Amino acid sequence: MKTLLIPAFQEEARLPAVLAALADAAPDFEVVVVDDGSRDATGELARRAGATVLRHPFNLGYGAALQTGYKWALRSGASVLVQMDADGQHDPRDVAALAAPVAAGELDLVIGSRFLGAGDYRMSGLRRVGRDFFRALLSGFGLRVTDPTSGFQAMNRAVLELYAGDMFPSDYPDVDVLLCAHRHGLRVGERPVRMLESSRVSTLHAGFAPIYYVYKMLLSVWAASSTDRRRREGA
Amino acid sequence: MTSDERLAELRQLFLTAPESTSTRVIAIVLSLLLVVTVLWLVRRRTLRAEYTPIWMGVAIGIAALSLVPPLLGWLTHAVGAWTPSSTLFFFGELFLLGICLNYAVRLSGLTLQIKNLAQELAVLRGELEAALSAEARERTGR
Repeated sequence: MKTLLIPAFQEEARLPAVLAALADAAPDFEVVVVDDGSRDATGELARRAGATVLRHPFNLGYGAALQTGYKWALRSGASVLVQMDADGQHDPRDVAALAAPVAAGELDLVIGSRFLGAGDYRMSGLRRVGRDFFRALLSGFGLRVTDPTSGFQAMNRAVLELYAGDMFPSDYPDVDVLLCAHRHGLRVGERPVRMLESSRVSTLHAGFAPIYYVYKMLLSVWAASSTDRRRREGA
Repeated sequence: MTSDERLAELRQLFLTAPESTSTRVIAIVLSLLLVVTVLWLVRRRTLRAEYTPIWMGVAIGIAALSLVPPLLGWLTHAVGAWTPSSTLFFFGELFLLGICLNYAVRLSGLTLQIKNLAQELAVLRGELEAALSAEARERTGR
């Protein structure tokens, strides 16, 4: 069984179009929408579109919403999970190509990269600096990826079991969890994806949030790497 | 007398200056009040018993410093402070810092537990809805 996971918070305007496109592009997936405590009709619209809706009693954060989907997929026996955003920036036509290497057993975790030539996605200056910094950081640990902050990913049960653990962050799971997967010996790879236009207004990249983001990622990466070292030394 | 000697004398004066009786009485009353408040909160079930030892410890500490005056003088001398009140402020702030950090650790644990509970609730409700709709489909199919 294959699961398509969409974490959603206040997405009643954009989610129905994503679900409609998915019905055509990925009919063999069980679509699971995790409604992260929305106060609008997100959950109800998803249910009407035929998706399984898991509703948080209150807002827990993007990472926690993803993790609820992982826990559901583990319990329902899914072999492959693809996650994508609810705002319509990920192209449902890429779902099959992203899931294929996982279903074939070639990779454990596949990142949909915006920088492998499938589209003409451009990042603003500061974000590009951040991306390059984290790219370099990951390659220092032996993990070479072009798009470490992409939320469009496919994974198997080995990754789900790791990500269902308490180390998975509630806010932004990006570089730190990729590194964690890599250091647990899971095979991480990339496939090109297109980015669609989205009317997303990103609050993550406003004010002090980018500074906190970089700080938090560095702290998480340090914690993840030192935990691994302790485990290895203890073994 | 050199200024260094004057300073040393002044310091000795600070260290040996007896606490006024009223200060000691106020401190003892405060420590008793703390014990009574803690007991009252436990009785009202507002404070859990496992959180009380630290506050009982604080009350005993305050009472001990008031009832045995040389204790504070000795402590002040040991940390190299000039006045007993500085020593009290120093340890008081250290204690508050420690307890704040301790609460941050407990909060982190609670946040994780609440997140896991909310996720479990969402998954269970999803499973219940799936089971109910499967049952309804079966009934209408029959």
